[in-house]
Order: sequence, then structure tokens, then C-alpha cells
Amino acid sequence: MARLGVTLVSALIGLMAGAASASDDAVVRAMRLYEQHHYEDAARTLQADLPALNPTSRAAAYLTLGMIYLGNAELHRGLHEAGITVQLDYLKKLVAVRGAGGSRFVNLYLGKTLLENGNAGEATKYLERFSAQRGLEPRYKAIAGASLGLSHFLGKNAQAARAQWATVDTADPEVQMALAAAYSQAGLKDRDPVGMGDAALKKVGSSPSSRMLENLLTVYARAGLTDKSLELVKLADLKAASYTEALGETKTISFYDVAALGDLAAMYRQASVRYLEKAAADAQIKPTADYYLGAAYAEAGEVELSLRATGAFLSVANAPLPQRNRARVRYATAQYLQGRRGEAMAVWETLAQGQPAEPGLLAEILLGCARAKAGCASIEPWATRAAEAGEGRKARSLNIALGRLYLLRGDHGRAVAYLEAGRDKSNKNRIESNDPVMLVNLAAAYYRGRQFSESLEIYFEMSKHFPVVRRIQEAMQGMYAMEHKSAGDVKIF
Amino acid sequence: MNKRIVVVLSILAVVVGTPPVSPAGPKNDGRPDGGTLGYGEYGRPSTLDPITSNEMVSLRITELVFNGLVGIDEKQEIVPELAERWEASKDSRTYTFFLRKDVMWHPKEGEEAKPFTADDVVFTYKIMMHPKTTTPLKVRYEFIESVEKLSDYGVQFTLKRPILNALAKFSFKVIPKHGPSHPLYLTREDPFVRQPIGTGPFVVKTITTDREIVLVANENYFKGRSHINKFISKPFADQNIMTQALMFNAIDMVVLVNPRDIPELQGDKRFVLQPYNALSYAFFGYNLRSPLLADKRVRQAFTYAVNRQEVLDSFFNGQGTLVSGPFAPGSWAYNLDVRPLPFDPQKAVALLRQAGFAPGPDGTLQKDGKKLTLSLKVPIEKESEAVKRVVLAFQNYLKNIGVAVKVEFKEWQAWKESVFQEHDFDIIFASWVFDDSADISSLFHSAEIGAWKNNFGGYSNPEVDGLIVESKLTLDHEKRRTINRKLHAILAEEAPYTFLWTLTNYSGYHKKLRRVAIHPYKFFSFADEWFIPAADQK
Repeated sequence: MARLGVTLVSALIGLMAGAASASDDAVVRAMRLYEQHHYEDAARTLQADLPALNPTSRAAAYLTLGMIYLGNAELHRGLHEAGITVQLDYLKKLVAVRGAGGSRFVNLYLGKTLLENGNAGEATKYLERFSAQRGLEPRYKAIAGASLGLSHFLGKNAQAARAQWATVDTADPEVQMALAAAYSQAGLKDRDPVGMGDAALKKVGSSPSSRMLENLLTVYARAGLTDKSLELVKLADLKAASYTEALGETKTISFYDVAALGDLAAMYRQASVRYLEKAAADAQIKPTADYYLGAAYAEAGEVELSLRATGAFLSVANAPLPQRNRARVRYATAQYLQGRRGEAMAVWETLAQGQPAEPGLLAEILLGCARAKAGCASIEPWATRAAEAGEGRKARSLNIALGRLYLLRGDHGRAVAYLEAGRDKSNKNRIESNDPVMLVNLAAAYYRGRQFSESLEIYFEMSKHFPVVRRIQEAMQGMYAMEHKSAGDVKIF
Repeated sequence: MNKRIVVVLSILAVVVGTPPVSPAGPKNDGRPDGGTLGYGEYGRPSTLDPITSNEMVSLRITELVFNGLVGIDEKQEIVPELAERWEASKDSRTYTFFLRKDVMWHPKEGEEAKPFTADDVVFTYKIMMHPKTTTPLKVRYEFIESVEKLSDYGVQFTLKRPILNALAKFSFKVIPKHGPSHPLYLTREDPFVRQPIGTGPFVVKTITTDREIVLVANENYFKGRSHINKFISKPFADQNIMTQALMFNAIDMVVLVNPRDIPELQGDKRFVLQPYNALSYAFFGYNLRSPLLADKRVRQAFTYAVNRQEVLDSFFNGQGTLVSGPFAPGSWAYNLDVRPLPFDPQKAVALLRQAGFAPGPDGTLQKDGKKLTLSLKVPIEKESEAVKRVVLAFQNYLKNIGVAVKVEFKEWQAWKESVFQEHDFDIIFASWVFDDSADISSLFHSAEIGAWKNNFGGYSNPEVDGLIVESKLTLDHEKRRTINRKLHAILAEEAPYTFLWTLTNYSGYHKKLRRVAIHPYKFFSFADEWFIPAADQK
């Protein structure tokens, strides 16, 4: 989508009357960074230039920012899913270690990760186990108490949740912040989580812990305070552990909270929608903004809004055909999700049959179909044939889409084969050359196939741009250390 | 002798005396047998046995020729090989292996094939541990206290202590008692190391005058005859030519594609590129026996003096990533908090000054009247254009801070003798490749200093020794991980090497090869399952 976006926005800038060259530069510069998937740099650059832009250029800048945040949202959603999988595997291995070498904190973090994965019942068991340990520092017992309340709440036991939360002493700002985050996750606006979070932050002054900042991010992101969330992320060390447990001189375990990955995804989604909506206020840019808004709403799970925005784009008579076809695919996906399955399938099949020469469109159909959890049985053989017949770069997106489909189905061997076919091997781990979402998918496929080193290599390179992936790397290293079987061989060459 | 007695005696002979007849034959899996696979190697192996070798080229051959008691499959599961099953004692100190009775050694020329038995297992362990045996393996098996033959097809190992991943260690390759010419130890002079016999899917047939190694399918392979008839290992002195050979169908597979050639191969639908070997890195290694290199500030200075990212970008198209210490970034042991030292020539000069070096009349640094002039030895197999440029760039970077480096390319075997046997070098350029264990103990433990051992630079640090031992003794994965992170930090600071980069490692092969699974380290572990459709067989 990045290349398509650059073309669209460049064309728009050309069309827009009166746009000053300096402001064009700002948007073009950001677009280049976006195309290289340097989302953070792209957004930072353009946000910094935003106040100086004239109103006409500002609309293009809003559009660009919307696209940048959308890309980042998709990536962080992928990271969130990958992070939960790897962390759960790792923490479950760790929790099985009992006795002298066993961790006291693993129960807390396993509980929190299970909560993040929607397993409130199982989470309760571990959180209770953590809290029942003797000699716990009151702070951590209280933090666990906040999560335990949440697990009761999400387990549909509001009474137990309230009773649990009532026992949490919020004199410690760390605890107050944790409780605010729990209220946010429970959706209890009446408890004023934002006020609680701000108050806790004020109490600690200028040096809040990473844990506090992450909890505050939960609060702000769930309250839709996009600007405050974005500012907060600038302050946070996203690679910092939530807690490091020392178990003797030569054993430490770092625990990470994967909720931050989900919060970041939510924050970027909100930012994307917000800027795209602003861009749509400009009549000239509206069709393009609607095109991306359709995608951003879909990313946020807002099916009706996605239909509306995409429909608005499709109603424009002179929309370019490639974008028009993609919008039709997206529209059909939303229809399918609304239960209009026959209509959706007919659109997908018509487009798939009518455009065999365009692998990119087939890829969109396949992904839309997969997103809607439709069978894709009629489309998949066309896609497979087209991928096999396709040449190099042109077939890349289709190979990637097939790879994702197999990953969703749990066929990791085929997922690797197709994703590798879509990977730019000359720069195999570089995000400039490869869509980072594809790299996350490939890392997941390798991880599932127990090719840990290939997966870790991907994250190592990605961590240079997205330090938040540390919370996947550390857990994956832990899994690798426990799972590998080898003799200890080393050779020179 | 009456007829009945003859029949009874004949039956007894089958039961007691004769080796069991291998039921092996075709795999009968519906896939075709036949065809030849020629693969390009970037060097010639100095030995073809699994004991004396410490290089990747040999490792790949031994994977085709030999088997271990156990194997490790694609899912990282331990699977039976020469042992059909095993038992571990409750205290994890005793491992009893029950051997297959249908395994035959490849026949020696002019002789009948002999059966594989427990004697071969005991022999392999003993010869591996013999002080006169030339091998880097001793350190890996020092945890074994004793080995005992229980029967012709039963063998028991007793460990000094329980260790992590013990079973995986029994994947060492077994050699035949009747193989080596000396019954107690194995050296590189023994004819067996060049004409080995094993139990594996392929038999070493000939080594041609062009140093090509021809291996043919073992008709009696106990897992069923491999599909492909013949493997031919073809050495290429220059990696640049290897890809061209693949493109022009002179070979069918390249074990390691030159990073520069990846775009060309990726664009050609005839070929498949498969990543592997993620756990490797290149380095400049220092001889710490040299008084000029004994001070860590000097070694650190060299690392600061080299713009590694520029070198990686210029000569390898940026197809790799810088490393900060003794593990590859894809390893579980890599310390993510240790960053590669930046390019900072001023800092390099300052460190050399602190170490007592000052410019002499010709601009070269000197100390106590001795010039900072060093030899850099590079194996000729590495003499690709890119490597030449790397070492020349290194020479130039060091010249910029007043250090003179003389580059010397040597033939592989001669280079290894200089480095591992005579220790006659100041600096070397090479790469290490690790299996999943990422075990650096043989590289940096002081007990591994000596002829043909991997600690070629003579690095010795009691703290590192202690951590390595603790890492080996622990049964706690997280503790071992923490220790390795510490080792990473210490060795990055101590700089026994200038740690360089992990390159993008791809194997390339023709699409006619089917069902190709490549072991991430050993490469050919599953090659007996590969096949070539009848229409594509040459």
C-alpha cells in the first residue's frame, strides 16, 4: 500500500493549487520515510513541520500523517499478536520451574499476559498464586491486586472485581497508576482513570518508571487522548523491562508487559483516523482520505464506518482503477462481515477472475477474504497459479498474501515458503525493502517451525527502528534457550 | 554330516555368527530414485572425517557419510539414528543406548561390509578423547565419565554430572573401529581422514584430480537408499564464480551464495534461495601472545578505528548486520544491551597513546623502540573480491591511526597450521559458525589454548573461565542465559576479536531438486529424502 500511497499523495500535491514548495518538501520527505517504513521518523518530521504549513498543504500533510499512523497501527497490531504468542509460550515454560530456581514474578506476568489474551479465568489463577506468596513487597502485591480485579471484571464477576479493587491501597503512585490502567481496561470511565493517572504521575514528578508510563499509555490510549499518548511515547523507553527479577548473582529474568503493544496499536489507529478525518475536510483531498479512512476504520474494527468511507470513495466517478478495485475488495470484506456473504463473494470472484494479470489485487482479495474468515476456496487456486506464474517483484505481494493465509491456518512450512518468495532477499531483514508486517509474519512462521534464529534475526534488525520489539526478542531468546537441541558444535570458515 | 545337522548348523550360523542382513533398499515412498547433484563449495576440506575436522566444508560431507546415535529433526526433536531407543537413569547420569542391528558400515575397498556394533561406539568415544587425537571435540565431551559396552548392541554412558541437552550431545558421529589405521588415536595423517567409511546415506567414492569429492548412494542405508544417486562436491576458490556455475547449470546447488549474487538469483525463477546458518559471524582475531596485542586498549583501538558499517555496506551491499560480541544476533545468548562500538578513530588514537604507543619517525606507532607492525593472515579460500577488499580496508583503517599491517593470503591447510598449530600470526580474518547451542567455551576458555584447539589467540581470563564452567554446570536455562549475556559483555569489552558482522546466508539451488530441507547448521542432514523428478535427472 505504501507505494500506491506515495503515488497518490504526490499526484495530489501536484494538483493542489498554491502549495508552497517548502511544504511540499515536508510532505514528500515524510512520504519517503513512510515508503521506507520509518513510521516514527516520518511522523516526527511531519508533525514538526505541521505548524509552518499553509492550510492547503496542511490537508495533504494530514493525509500523509493518517497513512503513516495507519501503517504503524497495522505493524503494532501484528507485533501485539506475535508478542502475546511468544510471551505466553515463554512464561508457561518458566512457571513450570518450581523450587529454588523458580521465579516469584512469573505468575504475575503470566496472569497479565493471559488477561491480554482474553483468558480471564486462567489469568485469575496465576494472579492469585502470585498474591498468595509470602514476603511479597506490598507494591507488587497491590499491582497484582489491580490486575486480579480486572480479571474478575472481565470474567463477568463485577462484584468480586469491586471487592478486590477496594483492597488496593493507592498511596503508592505506582499502584495508583496500575489501578487506573485496570479501570481503563475494564472501561470504567466513572472511576476517572485519566484523573487518577495524571495524579499519580504528578506525585512521582520527573522520573516515572517505565512501568508507570506504560500504564499511563493504557489509560490515555483507551480514553482516546491521542496527542497525550503520542507525547508519552516520546518519553518512554520502549525497550525497558517492566520488572527485572534477580535470582542470585548469575540469574536474572526480565519481564515485559505486552499490553503496551496493543496500546500502541490502538493509539496509532486513533491517530490515523483523526488525521484522515481532518484531511477529508478538504474537498480536493476527500476522495483519497476516504480511501484510507475505509482502511483505517476496518483496522479499528468499525465495519459500518469502513463501508461508509469506502462507499464514498467508490462514488467518485474518476477514481483511478487500481485504487477503485482495491476499494471494492475492502467494501466486499465489510459486507461479508455484516453478513452479506453472497454479495461479497461475488465481488471477490468477479475481481479475481477479471484481473488475473494484477497480482496485487489478487493479494488484496485473498487478504480481505482471510480477514473476514471466509473460506477463500474458489479464490485460492487462482492466487496460487498466479503466484507460481508471476515474475519476481510483481508477484511479491501475492506470495506474501498466500503466506499470511497459510500462517493463519497454521501451515507454517507453506507460510515460510510463500513469505520467503515475497521477501526481498537482498535486504532480507531491512524494513526499507520489506514490509515490516510481512517480516513479523515471517518471524512468526519461523518461530512456529522452531527456526528460532531466523526469527530472532528479523527482530534484531527491526529493533533498531522499533525498540518495543524487545519484549518479543527477550521471550523468544528464552524459548530458544529452552527448546533447542544441539550438541554444542562450532566450526571455522 | 547328515543333512539335518547341516541345516541346524546353518540356522545357528545365521543367528549367532553372521552379521544381520540389512533390510535396507529403496525407500518405497513413491518418489523417484536417480540423478546427480553437483554442489558448489567455497573450499576444499582438509579432512573428511567427523573427528579431526573443525571446518564447515568437512562438516557437510560428514553429514552425508556418518550417523550419530541420535539425530535432531527439523522440529528440534531428538530422533533415533544408530540407536533405536535409549533410557536415561532417574538421576540423568546414565544413558543406555540400544543399537540398531541392521546397520552396516560402508565396505572398505576390496572387503566385505562389516556390521555396526557397540564396539564402534566405544571406540569412537575413546579415540575422540585420546590426548593424541587431533580434534576440537574433547571439550564437548569432557562431561562423560565412562562408556561401557553392555552387549554387541547395547552401550552405556555414565556422565560426571547431569547436563542440559545431554541427549543431543550423543548426536556425535560414530566412526568404525576398523577404520583408522591406529587403534588408539586419530590424526590428520591417518589415511582414514581422507577416505573415510561411515554408515550414512552416501559412500565416499573418489576424489578427483580437480579435488571434486564424489559420493554415491549407499544401497544398504538403514533408513532406505537415498533418492539421489550421486552427490559431487565441487570446490570453488572464488565465491564469485560459484553463482555463475549455478546460473549456467554447471552445478545444481551453492551452499553459500555470495551476497552480491542474491538479487540475480532471486530474479531467476529456476532457482530457490533458502536462508540458513544464521548463527555465524566474521571477525578479526588477535594473537594475545604478541606483546603488541596483549593490552586490551590496543585491541579496542583497532575496533574503534574500523568503520565496520561502511565496510559492510561497500563490499557486501549492506547484506548483514554488525555484531557487538561473541554471539550472532540470531542466538538466544546475544546480549541485546551491548551495542557495537562506534567508528571513532580519535578514540582509537587516544587508546593507543594510553597504551604507551607514540608515532615514530616514519609515522608508524611504536613503543619501547618496537614498531606496531602486524601480520594479518587470511585463508586463500576467502580470497573473494569482497574479502580482499575487507582486509585491505582494515589495513588502510589501521594505517590511518599509525598501525602497519602486512596482509598474507595462505592456502587453507597452511593457514590452519599457522593459526591452530603454530600460532604464527598476529591477526587473522575468519568466521565462526555455531549450532543452536551457541557454545563459545572452546573459543575463549583458557583450557582450550594449545595445538589444534579453537582458542587460537591464547585468550585467558579467570572470570570468563569461571563463567563458562558455571554455564556448563548449570541445569537452569535462564541462569545459563544470564551467564552468556555476561560473557557477551565481558568479551565485547576485552576485545580478543574485533567482532564484525553476520552476513545474509542463503543457499541457492535449482528448482528441479525437490523436498529440499536444509539443516540450519549441518546442511545435509535430510539429504537422503531429497529427490529429482525423473524428467530432470541428468
